[in-house]
Amino acid sequence: MKRFVDVVQYLVLAGTVVFVLALFLNEPATPDEAATPPAPSAADQDDDAGDDEDTPVSVDGAAVYSDNCASCHGSDGSGGFGPALAAGAVVDAFPDPADQIAVITDGRNGMPDFGGSLSPEEIQAVTDYTRAEL
Amino acid sequence: MTGATIDRPPPEVGKRFALLALVGAAVALSLGVYASVHDPTLETPYTLWFTGTINLKVWFGTLALLLGGVQLLTALRLYGKIGSAERPPPWLGDLHRLSGTLAFAVTLPVAYHCLWALGYQSDDTRSLAHSLFGCFFYGAFVTKVLVVRAKGLPGWALPVAGGAVLTALVGVWLTSSLWYFTTVDFPGF
Repeated sequence: MKRFVDVVQYLVLAGTVVFVLALFLNEPATPDEAATPPAPSAADQDDDAGDDEDTPVSVDGAAVYSDNCASCHGSDGSGGFGPALAAGAVVDAFPDPADQIAVITDGRNGMPDFGGSLSPEEIQAVTDYTRAEL
Repeated sequence: MTGATIDRPPPEVGKRFALLALVGAAVALSLGVYASVHDPTLETPYTLWFTGTINLKVWFGTLALLLGGVQLLTALRLYGKIGSAERPPPWLGDLHRLSGTLAFAVTLPVAYHCLWALGYQSDDTRSLAHSLFGCFFYGAFVTKVLVVRAKGLPGWALPVAGGAVLTALVGVWLTSSLWYFTTVDFPGF
């Protein structure tokens, strides 16, 4: 029994080392870097020459939600460390979508602000997604 | 201790315990600084065999608390505070070590997500208390491990250190798993 506990303790010690290292080595790209699109090539610029500059860019609200909101509100919006959003809960909380957008942009209570990491289009998309799809 | 005399430990013993407590405080402070400086990723990097990261955290936190309860009971039995007057069975010490080790182990994936994905939060009372309890837990744990291995400390040092760890663990659980159970959902695995 004593030897077994010794082995377990050594394994947990190794796991603790991995835990500490992972905290520092597993740094994701910063939101600004991740959001920066690659520079368009000359061919891309030629292809885009005739495009309307005001054409809206399609943003996948589900993907924005999965990447930024699901960790706290749950992958299905049923709640987590943040409140539930699904089944109309978010509409009940924010009858006016502008109020929801303000909270996403500026944060509130324990919720961080996303105004610096998400574009207005992404915030609008994720707002629409949470209100209509969850 | 005899009669009305009080058996006070020599001053250097108190300093040694204070030094170990300072090491734990440094660990707790370091975690707090990391959580404050690190940009929360807000990602769910793993679920292990659970259906979601939140489920994992809620249940691992609860498992850690239960193992902490085993720690308390076995410690009380080892100190002769509960149970029969006979000597505790020889395996009880190993059970105490094992339950403590496993309790600590299951907190690691929970803490990793807290520190790496969510960071230090102080916007509301629960989040602030949870952040403080979490940092304090690991600091107290380090102090307790050092106290276990240190020589010549007074008899109260280990129960105090162990009590601090369990107190922190209870605080962490109250401000996370219990809060989740009572305000959000009773999640499946």
